[in-house]
Amino acid sequence: MSELFLLIQIAIRNLFASFLNFVIGGIILMGTLLFVVGGSLLSSVDSAMSKSITGSIAGHVQVYSDKSKEELSLFSNWTMPDIAAVPDFSKIKPALLSVDNVKTVVPMGVEGANMTYGNTLDQTLDKLRKAVNARLAGDRSPALNERIVSLKDHVRRIVTVIQEDYKKLTVMASTQSIDPQELRAIEKAASAEFWNSFDADALAHLEFMENKIAPLLPDADLIFFSYVGTDLDSFRGSFDRMEIVDGQMVPPGGRGLLLSKYVYENQFKLKTAHRLDKIYEALHDEGKTIASDPDLQLMVKQNRSQTREILLQLDPLSSQRTTKTLQGFLKSSENDLATLLTTFFDTNDANFIERHGFFYKEIAPLIELYRIRPGDTMPINAFTKSGYIQSVNVKVYGTFQFKGLEKSGLAGGMSLMDLMTFRDLYGYVTPERMAESNQLKKNTGVKFVERDRAEAELFGGSSVVGTGGEKKIDDQAEMGGVKYSATARALMNRPYSRDEIDQGVVLSAAVILKDPSKMEQTMREIEAVSKKNGLGLRVVSWQKAAGQLGQFVFIAKAVLYFAVFIIFVVALVIINNAVMMATLQRVREIGTMRALGAQKRFVLKLVLIETLLLGLSFGAVGTLLGSILVKWMGHNGIPAGSEFLYFFFSGPRLYVDLGIGSLIGAFISICLVTSISALYPAIIATRVSPVQAMHAED
Amino acid sequence: MPNADTSASPIVSIVNVSKEYTLGETVVPALRDINLSVAPSEFISIAGPSGSGKTTLLNLIGCVDTATTGQVIIAGQDTRNLSERQLTELRLHTIGFIFQSFNLVPVLSVFENVEFPLLLQRKLGSAERKQRVMDLLTKVGLADRAKHRPSELSGGQRQRVAIARALVTRPKIVLADEPTANLDSKTGENIIDLMKEMNQIEKTTFIFSTHDAKVMAHANSIIRMADGKIVEDAKRSTKSRDQEIRA
Ligand SMILES: Nc1ncnc2c1ncn2[C@@H]1O[C@H](COP(=O)(O)OP(=O)(O)OP(=O)(O)O)[C@@H](O)[C@H]1O
Ligand SMILES: [Mg+2]
Repeated sequence: MSELFLLIQIAIRNLFASFLNFVIGGIILMGTLLFVVGGSLLSSVDSAMSKSITGSIAGHVQVYSDKSKEELSLFSNWTMPDIAAVPDFSKIKPALLSVDNVKTVVPMGVEGANMTYGNTLDQTLDKLRKAVNARLAGDRSPALNERIVSLKDHVRRIVTVIQEDYKKLTVMASTQSIDPQELRAIEKAASAEFWNSFDADALAHLEFMENKIAPLLPDADLIFFSYVGTDLDSFRGSFDRMEIVDGQMVPPGGRGLLLSKYVYENQFKLKTAHRLDKIYEALHDEGKTIASDPDLQLMVKQNRSQTREILLQLDPLSSQRTTKTLQGFLKSSENDLATLLTTFFDTNDANFIERHGFFYKEIAPLIELYRIRPGDTMPINAFTKSGYIQSVNVKVYGTFQFKGLEKSGLAGGMSLMDLMTFRDLYGYVTPERMAESNQLKKNTGVKFVERDRAEAELFGGSSVVGTGGEKKIDDQAEMGGVKYSATARALMNRPYSRDEIDQGVVLSAAVILKDPSKMEQTMREIEAVSKKNGLGLRVVSWQKAAGQLGQFVFIAKAVLYFAVFIIFVVALVIINNAVMMATLQRVREIGTMRALGAQKRFVLKLVLIETLLLGLSFGAVGTLLGSILVKWMGHNGIPAGSEFLYFFFSGPRLYVDLGIGSLIGAFISICLVTSISALYPAIIATRVSPVQAMHAED
Repeated sequence: MPNADTSASPIVSIVNVSKEYTLGETVVPALRDINLSVAPSEFISIAGPSGSGKTTLLNLIGCVDTATTGQVIIAGQDTRNLSERQLTELRLHTIGFIFQSFNLVPVLSVFENVEFPLLLQRKLGSAERKQRVMDLLTKVGLADRAKHRPSELSGGQRQRVAIARALVTRPKIVLADEPTANLDSKTGENIIDLMKEMNQIEKTTFIFSTHDAKVMAHANSIIRMADGKIVEDAKRSTKSRDQEIRA
């Protein structure tokens, strides 16, 4: 006891005795600092990211059919992996729920689809047609009359804008390159006679506009989006990070689409407004300046040149008003609205905030900021499993986001769709419905489906990709190749029962656990249940289900651990050399102790304890500094500079947590590194002969 | 007055001992067939020119080195039969060392340096240790320096601390290889006087080597060496002759 006390006393007093100790201590200090900070950072990113993935779509565990040709990859937004369908979710749900640690199971089908919507002229004509139809149906109210006049004026204005465009074109390009028929059509549409005779035969005039003029506007758009087809109610209950931003939740059991807020802002918002938002954010939140940031300069340039969308949307009355307010705002006498808008959008750091405010206050209320509004019904197209294009009209109920992941393109890339619509788009027909359709076929005299064509029929088509025509599940919906009409329509609007939702095809299911720390064990239990019941399920962790993203994290981790390992080895070698040198400097002291009667063991302990104490005290300083740094980072958060990082930080900032794990890890590594690196010098020290005590000082 | 009892069984007994060092191809004979017997409480000086084998002899007696041939018996134990571990134990309990360069542990205080062998021994409690250390420090006149570090002392003072350290375990033998070589001759003589005083109080056997004739004069007996052999066993032989005559 007293011997150990003596050794510690010698060790403490030798702490600052040699310059070499400062070298060793310095390395250990830096090492532990790095370890604590890096370890905390990594574990924080790890847990933040696991929150991002488990909390947004994946859940803790995903199960899918083991007949799948490829691996499930939830976040590979455009290329959907080849996943075999699980034909009946209701068969696997109770089995999964029977596992102890499973809290909920959410059915899923991750797929891609696209949505088309007409250009501004299409939309305005559509409104005009509806109003004209109402009048034809007998509505004579002054309000309708006024609306028709206003819409007619808007269409005329759009034609004027198109005409202006064509004038510019003819100046720039040779006249031959423009189809004279187009020019003649525009001339006709812009003429006073055309509009004077409009009311006499409104439908014919509308037809002319729709067929001849609307196609000249190129801003019709096709938007691709990825979505998760799921039991929306169960999804909302299980993923509590989800929150509705605009509009409302799809009613229980109903069909409908919830667009991701991120997608809504990026794809559906008026480009000019979206750019203004982004510039505002960069200036206001990120402290950037237009003057120094080329990306922001580009956005300003685009806003200046791309004013057409706004021009088209403004009806004549709004155009006049905007011209006037802009003239006042810019103190300009310019009469051309296009020129005024270009001047207005020529923003710089000094005037941006003011103009941003003006835009939202004065211009935005006059136009449609978003191409789709919550409540709109949109035709959605997708390739079915067998290659057909399916089209389903879906009501967009609103937009949603995952709390803390508002800015993340990865978590925000997915929209949410009800499971029934997903099944229609996916083109999978349940055996029950198959039987029902066969019955119908029999009734209508259609011959029985041949046995070898059953699968193709099951997937809603018999032809290979591309050769099939477009099939619409709408008023005249076809399902499984059979006309349904009235039945289908009824199917669209009624709410579905839980059983109906559960009894059908899914691609995967998210499993939410009661205790996520027991994930590995629960996965094994799920596998066992699947095997026992012959469910044929593949069970993967969220890391794996995240696809490339999960792999990326794995690689990042591996790289970091490798770096730590290299630092360890380097530290080991340097410390080993330094301790060796320090020991050789003390040969006479050690020899004296041996001569006085100290055993080899004593010398071994002496060197080990001294190095260990050196490591622990400098390590403590390093840990302290590291902890302070981590606390500071935890307090202020590390800003996620790019939207990509939002996902990894699970929010706009990473609030680093001082993991007790990294402290323990640092402690263990110090002990390990110092003892390993001091072991060899300590053994060498025991070989010092007591004779060496006799050698005189040099 | 004789202070050595040669008739009692010898504390050091060296029989036909040779020591050779091998330097590459050449073999350097350091000791050649030496015989020596030292009785308890003797105060002996080993003298001889450089290279005569003084240090080698002291190292063999001190159990820090082993003989090439012959027997070295210390306190009744034949060192040939002892393991490295047992040799260390023997040093700890039976032998005290005083070094030419004092060899105090620089980070320990005077008190702690003297206490050091006692801590290795693990025999005494802290109160007893304290008493024994302070006792010795008083005897060597450094009680008031107990808390000082070696670097704060003069060479003579350091060697006194070393003497206290050598005696603290109450060893049977204290060995000192040129203990005065790093001191001026006045201080050196004082150190030898202190050693002699201790030899008389504690009855400890002292064997020391020196070049200094003045220092040598303080010894009760002198062993002279040359070329690895004992050439004269001065007063001791006279003394034994006296005893023979008396008998
Ligand atoms: N470790 C060694 N290796 C080789 N030869 C040695 C070694 N130690 C001593 N010798 C040789 O043994 C002989 C005796 O040396 P020793 O040191 O015992 O002499 P010494 O009488 O102590 O001399 P000095 O008065 O110079 O200290 C010398 O010739 C010396 O060169
Ligand atoms: Mg010598």
